[in-house]
Amino acid sequence: MNRKNKILLVEDEPNIARLFNYTLTKAGYTVVFAENGLVGLNKVHEDRPDLIISDIMMPEVDGFEFRKMLLEDKNVANIPFVFLTAKGSEDDILEGYNLSIEEYIIKTESPKIVVAKINSIFESIKRGRESAVFEVQKAADKLKIKVVPENFPKLDGFEIKHYHKPFESVPGGDFIDYIKLNDDTLVIVTGDVMGKKWGAWYFAVAYAGYVRNAVRVACSDVDEYSPKAIMQKINEMIYNDERISEVFITLSVVIINSSQNVIKYCGAGDLPLLLADEKIETIRSNGLLLGFSLDSYYDDISIEIESQQVLYLITDGVVELRNNEGVQLGYENLGRIIVNSIKKESSLTEIIKELSLYSNSNFEDDLSIVQIKKL
Amino acid sequence: MGIKEDIFNDILIETVLLERATIVEAEVLKKQIAAKYAEGYKKIIIDISECEFIDSTFLGVIVNTLKRVAKVNGDLKLVGFKPAVKAMFELTRMFRVFESFSTVSEAIKSFE
Repeated sequence: MNRKNKILLVEDEPNIARLFNYTLTKAGYTVVFAENGLVGLNKVHEDRPDLIISDIMMPEVDGFEFRKMLLEDKNVANIPFVFLTAKGSEDDILEGYNLSIEEYIIKTESPKIVVAKINSIFESIKRGRESAVFEVQKAADKLKIKVVPENFPKLDGFEIKHYHKPFESVPGGDFIDYIKLNDDTLVIVTGDVMGKKWGAWYFAVAYAGYVRNAVRVACSDVDEYSPKAIMQKINEMIYNDERISEVFITLSVVIINSSQNVIKYCGAGDLPLLLADEKIETIRSNGLLLGFSLDSYYDDISIEIESQQVLYLITDGVVELRNNEGVQLGYENLGRIIVNSIKKESSLTEIIKELSLYSNSNFEDDLSIVQIKKL
Repeated sequence: MGIKEDIFNDILIETVLLERATIVEAEVLKKQIAAKYAEGYKKIIIDISECEFIDSTFLGVIVNTLKRVAKVNGDLKLVGFKPAVKAMFELTRMFRVFESFSTVSEAIKSFE
């Protein structure tokens, strides 16, 4: 089940507040309170509710004033807003709708009607979001813009798979790429642009382009392929491009040469790689976030991988998953999950299942995992 | 709650009074700092000692601020790290980039 929707109830009459709290909590919502518009304004910033229900007649700042204050702040103006009132006069109702509200609830309406109205607002928001995402995705598909490949690459002696789930199903800042340099050599890249959803996705597309260019430049006319050379090239390009130099990115670059059984890795602000069999080994790089400094130093790390060992590249959304008590998954727990799943036939699917169980499928960021298994 | 702003001489102090500092608060911090930067403040302290968690977007704003002020001979110093935040700074190697202190007064002194 996904996270419960949070409703901010702004109401000065304790009995009404209690009644609505009971009704809405029973219907599966989380309810937070404020006793007037001024307190409500603070709560909106503090608690970031998914919907606001506000009384009109209140001391200090009344409901209309409160609504006007919210409309002036574009960070919160779009949170769905419902007026709650004892009287249903035509003027009141019309004034409410002039302030871009979703709905009007009369305090004497039955709890069933109140819940039905609130449920219907959330349903309509969900439909609107799905339809917007669908339209943008359709446009991105038409332009053949993808930040995660549809298929897994083929490389002799290795089995490579990935899992990617964007936050709230909206493409975001994580990206994965596979670039075949020749029959034996594959470059694997995972990146995480700081940010979420479309804003980050735009930059992820730009960065993915940079990475491809950098690979082409850094891997032409060289005796030996080096992730470090790729990383330095990308850093230089990003640092000098003012359009994207203020958006930072973490990146893991792995080059596999299957004929020589050599894996080289270079990281920039990325999370350590995990090499797993019955136990977990953490492989850390030293590189700083890309785009931060022209002088950032990057180095190549050689990874020795034996048959049946598995190497994992992950982004922060994985280790930052939280359980119902708010406890982060962290590296140790992730390691345990991997070790327990690794012998199973569909180990990546098993890992995802365990991650979903841990977090109650409440993913708060993009989630990306690349699994490289030596056969 | 939120992000408190104080000025001490020519130093801007942003105190992040949030358990979880994420994408929404990142936007608030970015705006607050941008406004003061435009007024000429280039010595900045960000106190994150209340934060149990900082996501990558929030970290991005901190990193970006450092990059901006460093270009004009300013500096950004951090105060306080709870274990999970410390771990995140260590994992992303950001510890190497920021000067950090246990208290705001130590951070202020370091600008002298």
